[in-house]
Amino acid sequence: MKFFIQKDRLIEAVSDVLKAVASRTTIPILVGIKIDTTDEGVYLTGSDSDISIKSFIPREEEDTEIVEIVEKGSIVLHARFFSEVVRKLPESIVEVSVEDQFKTVIRSGNAEFIIHGLDAEEYPRLPQINQENSFTMPTDLLKNVIKQTVFAVSTSETRPILTGVHWTFENNELIAVATDSHRLALKKATLQTSLEQDQSFSIVIPGKSLTELTKVLDDNQEPVEIIVTENQILFKAKNLLFYSRLLEGKYPDTSKLIPTDSKTTTKLNSKEFLEAVDRASLLAREGKNNVIKFAILENDIIEISSYTPEIGKVVEKVKSLAVEGEDIKISFSAKYMMDALRAIDATDITIYFTGSMRPFILKSDSDDTILQLILPVRTF
Amino acid sequence: MRYETKSRARVIFHVDMNSFYASVEMAYKPSLKGKPLAIAGNPEERRGIIVTCSYEARKFGVKTTMPLWEAKKLCPDLIVLPPNFDRYRIFSQKIFQTLRDYTDLVEPVSIDEGYMDITEYIQKHPVSIAQDIQNRLLKELDLPCSIGIAPNKFLAKMASDMKKPLGVTVLRKRDIPKILWPMPVSEMHGCGAKTTEKLNGIGIKKIEDLAKANDVQLKNLLGINGIRLKERANGFDPRKVDPDSINDYKSIGNSTTLPRDITSEKDLLSILQSLARTVSARLKNKDVFTTNVAITIRYKNRKTITRSEKLENPIREEQDIYNQAKHIFMKHWDGSPVRLLGITGNDLVEEQHVVKQLDLFTFEEDAKEEPLIETIEQLREKFGHDIIKKGIKVERKEGQTDTSFDKDFLRKN
Repeated sequence: MKFFIQKDRLIEAVSDVLKAVASRTTIPILVGIKIDTTDEGVYLTGSDSDISIKSFIPREEEDTEIVEIVEKGSIVLHARFFSEVVRKLPESIVEVSVEDQFKTVIRSGNAEFIIHGLDAEEYPRLPQINQENSFTMPTDLLKNVIKQTVFAVSTSETRPILTGVHWTFENNELIAVATDSHRLALKKATLQTSLEQDQSFSIVIPGKSLTELTKVLDDNQEPVEIIVTENQILFKAKNLLFYSRLLEGKYPDTSKLIPTDSKTTTKLNSKEFLEAVDRASLLAREGKNNVIKFAILENDIIEISSYTPEIGKVVEKVKSLAVEGEDIKISFSAKYMMDALRAIDATDITIYFTGSMRPFILKSDSDDTILQLILPVRTF
Repeated sequence: MRYETKSRARVIFHVDMNSFYASVEMAYKPSLKGKPLAIAGNPEERRGIIVTCSYEARKFGVKTTMPLWEAKKLCPDLIVLPPNFDRYRIFSQKIFQTLRDYTDLVEPVSIDEGYMDITEYIQKHPVSIAQDIQNRLLKELDLPCSIGIAPNKFLAKMASDMKKPLGVTVLRKRDIPKILWPMPVSEMHGCGAKTTEKLNGIGIKKIEDLAKANDVQLKNLLGINGIRLKERANGFDPRKVDPDSINDYKSIGNSTTLPRDITSEKDLLSILQSLARTVSARLKNKDVFTTNVAITIRYKNRKTITRSEKLENPIREEQDIYNQAKHIFMKHWDGSPVRLLGITGNDLVEEQHVVKQLDLFTFEEDAKEEPLIETIEQLREKFGHDIIKKGIKVERKEGQTDTSFDKDFLRKN
């Protein structure tokens, strides 16, 4: 195998596939990046067996030559060394050639590295994906769906299924739900290409996979094709394939747990409220928990306060845009509230309370595709 | 740069009761006076060691922590009594009451010793105050003590150790080179067997060597504690006498040495259950919850492990503590014979600051209590926070443990 390649394109592709390479792995060859050259160009693959990323560098793009293939072939190179070597090369063109016994020479300008590679035949094959269920979505929408939900997955392994995001496909709509059982994030998105009539199914994607996916996707509106099989999901973007294992098991039915009525509603300016919560939590996060109190006073005034023994207390009043229903006093985690407000990212939000010991929800009046739910904290 | 606040030199007393348990027994039963007396754990169990003994017994070479059989060999007439902790607690409380007659700045350290800051109480010369305290304790309670007088806690503690029984010793800063420095480091308060061994390892034998030791070397050897020890060897100790320190609970724990090495899971779990009961009762006694449960396992070969896990929500009920302790135990017990088991509640939270993060899948259980809680809330708003509480707070005797380390009772309520 031998090829010449533009260094910038190589660095970019290496850093993408590197996100899937695990530092520790039970399959030794997975510490490497697989390089394949074909008539079309160069493919790089990284995998930790849960996530696999395959990046493609075409021979030419917009009449510019990016890769010159001299001899086709495959090799696996140690990911960390290869990526550091490539980054530090002096010139803008890199030559990679494999000599006998997988010995690989990397040249750029006057610099020459020799890295001992591994047999590409030993590298596990990527999952075979048949076009079972496939649909497309613009990249920026997909990234939004992920960002507005993935932060709410559980980080604890006590209920492994909750470490994933639950995606339900129904009536040309995707509903993504994540919960760590203390808060829940829900986001709906309309699918570009329609599913077959009456087709509905659901999957659970590991939160970690989705977080990595957002890092390798560009910010644009290009469509991403999403293909789902029984135990794998594949995201196909331009020059990029992203595979993830799906979580097995039944995701709890959360639809019945989201309250539909409310006793108290209040509308607030998001930015003002977020800043007040942030200030109140300054002291609260020093304590053992990050809990703040929220109370509706007279004249649509909201009082946000926190008290941490030995440190101090903070009280702040925020004017609500509107209050309806009963008065309420409730305590909750400042972190969950800030996460939710940041996820909704709207000018105004409305909070729907159903009681001081029951879940409450946050919604934006201008965007009904997103909902955030928080469980309060009980004080004694 | 190190300096002391020059505003005013403090006058600190360290009051140390002489062979406290034995003295209490003698005060309680005067016919024991002048006889070799020892307090020892139950000889049938592994706890058959001397807890403390009278000065008459010490003359025969009987020492604290000596096995009972060895003590009997040295002193065949030795009178051995089992400890009566309830009795010692009552006497201890009386002692601290007496000390508080002189100043509010009394800090109990354990059942039989404490610090006093009498700087503000300057009606008499400190030595006469000390003699007065000593005489009163002897006359009113029939208990001997030694008192150290110094400008800080460390020196006061060292001073009280210098003359026993019934000593009053003044240790001034200027006496340090003459009196303190020639002593071996092992005599220093805060310098245990391991620290002494380490210090000896780098050629530090006397307190003088420590006072003049190299900071960097000490820090490498003992961390920040090394620097602290050096400061003390030079007579510096910035710690204040803090009457409330006894009220700061960092943790609440109980452990028990098993009467024999146990391998049966069922038996070990039932011991955990009873430890959980005690820890739970003590947490309730102090109106606190724990957010981090730790267990200690000492194996037959004396290897000891402590493992803890942080909890999402604070707990204190016996069953909750047991479940958590069991969970940690099952995860870490290697199945070999166990000599000692312990449960400790760490990261304590006071009752009024306890919160519980509700769970999406179980919140209904808490929500059921909502109407009740609303009523309580309304009452509190009208009449103040303490007007109503859930459950009745009763003095729980159950939680008291029979060890001198349990200082719960020293709190002022």
